[in-house]
Amino acid sequence: MSLLHLGWEWLRRRLILASAAGGIALGVGVLFTVLAVFQGFVAELESSIKKVSGDVTLEILRGTRTGQQEFARALAGMPEVASWDARLNWFGLVGRRGSRAVDDPRATDQSGLLLVGVEGEEARDLPARAPSAPTETPAPLLMSQALAAEFGLAIGDVVEVTTFRTAERRTVLARKSFALAGYAQSGRFDLDLDRAIAHRADVAALAGTAPDFSEIAVHALPSVEAEALAAQIERALLAAGIPEMDLPLLKTWRDQGGQLLRAAEDQKGMLGTVFFMIVLVAVYQLVATLLLTVAEKRREIGVLGALGAGPGRVVGFFTGLALLIATIGCAAGLLLGAALVANLHAVERFLGGGEAIFLPEIYKFEDIPVRVEWGSTLLLVGATLACALVFSLLPAWRAARVPIVRALQQR
Amino acid sequence: MSEARAGTPVVEARGLVKSYRVGASTLTVLQGVSLTLQPGETAALMGASGSGKSTLLHLLGLMDKPDAGEILLAGEPVQGFGPRRAAKMRAGRLGFVFQQFQLLHEISALENVLLPRRIANGAAWWSRRAEERRAARAAMAAVGLAERERHRPPQLSGGEQQRVAIARALVGTPQLLLADEPTGNLDRRTGAEVLALMLRLARERGTALLLATHDPEVAAACDRTLHLREGRVVGA
Repeated sequence: MSLLHLGWEWLRRRLILASAAGGIALGVGVLFTVLAVFQGFVAELESSIKKVSGDVTLEILRGTRTGQQEFARALAGMPEVASWDARLNWFGLVGRRGSRAVDDPRATDQSGLLLVGVEGEEARDLPARAPSAPTETPAPLLMSQALAAEFGLAIGDVVEVTTFRTAERRTVLARKSFALAGYAQSGRFDLDLDRAIAHRADVAALAGTAPDFSEIAVHALPSVEAEALAAQIERALLAAGIPEMDLPLLKTWRDQGGQLLRAAEDQKGMLGTVFFMIVLVAVYQLVATLLLTVAEKRREIGVLGALGAGPGRVVGFFTGLALLIATIGCAAGLLLGAALVANLHAVERFLGGGEAIFLPEIYKFEDIPVRVEWGSTLLLVGATLACALVFSLLPAWRAARVPIVRALQQR
Repeated sequence: MSEARAGTPVVEARGLVKSYRVGASTLTVLQGVSLTLQPGETAALMGASGSGKSTLLHLLGLMDKPDAGEILLAGEPVQGFGPRRAAKMRAGRLGFVFQQFQLLHEISALENVLLPRRIANGAAWWSRRAEERRAARAAMAAVGLAERERHRPPQLSGGEQQRVAIARALVGTPQLLLADEPTGNLDRRTGAEVLALMLRLARERGTALLLATHDPEVAAACDRTLHLREGRVVGA
């Protein structure tokens, strides 16, 4: 460390060493930006999964005799629970507008539709039904614009939903009219292509099922881990006297995310690895530069040796120089990355020749989501410094082997 | 820094042999050189070009190893030293002045003078840096360059550069100063000034000086003269 000032002076006066720091800065800056964007994607995905499924979903078994009130009592005693919503999910069939067999379940041009029956705060966007309205009045329904376009529906259009239900041990056909009252996006493009939102009472009237809820989405307080909450809910349900055979299936938001979430995480890892290659190339350039420096600075290395620097000190000097260059490169790279992330919209327009690259109609966001995680940033800097340290051992070893007498004879 | 024991020579060489391979043949430069230097003594090493003066200084400075013979620094045999111990010995007990000055051009004159102290102190540098900086400034003042400490070597004349090299060699008060043609690259007047300065400072500090030269006037300024002829020292 005591010779670091000499390394600093070499760095200041030799453009080739400064350019090595610039290469590392470029690699770190690009990787920082890519990670921030992909972490933003994953965070958006996680947020949308939680929005749809809650932190923990209680999937109620069909035929359970435990009512909603019992579940509510058990959840009400848990300080980790922020809120919960009971829903009724039911599959129905719906035909395209103009279809000749729009209400005939035997027709082949019908599509499956998941009706999600909601109430309370979740139903705030659904128009309320007048209590005195006749039962044949179409019930309000919300769906995504993409799904409405698929069915050829416009707001105000009435659509017949048909389904089969069990009544007195017989399967019977049931149908109900719904009117498209508006559009709703869940944030998950895949889910929005086959689901529609309706009042739970209307879905229950169509399904005729008991109980009239099929899942409870539990939202946790911010600091609560979903897995821990799921275990606590199970204990709370048992403590509340709910029979074991009525215990619902507990799924965390990570379980609900399933393959999609894992795919996003895997892609983040793969992209991080691929872009780290840029950093490795920059570190390789640093090593080549240091090898050149050892060749050019043989006289100076000889002087250090004559003044008492042993092989260990010479190795320490060159690895220290590599770390100094890599540290400056990392610092500049993080600044570059922060600037790129802060101006991502301009960068996107620049790269796209004035046009947006991430189209909102495909990626479902107006602004590119960004999230900087300290853990991955520290990992990036640590990995870069570690690579610089390891790779610099070769030039450092060569420098330590420079014979003093021959080096001093060099002009 | 360890002091030379009373009555013990600063350096003692016995039967040093050194050969080089030149193509297919072997050139023996030193053929059994022996010499002794007492603390504070100044000696000139004279000989024709290629007689082995620089080679002998390199061996005594532990920058190279003899093929045969023995070297004792302050009574301690050093022939078994590895690169690390040899480096430690150079940093602690030896000082060097070269014909080509061998200053580092990227750093200031003061930083060049501080360089051996940075190396010798290692990790302890940060706790001793103020004290070492004062010593380096004193050394710069002793060679008359107090006002030029911020200048880099290319901004100094040849004589000034050699004076910086002398300050660098003496800043740690070594027991032995090895000077290889220190005036060889200077004009006569500047060379005389540099020589007088080096001898004065060495004597003030009680540092033994072995100075390689082929200039009889330079040799005459030293306490005694050793002649290197046909690979052997005459007059040791």
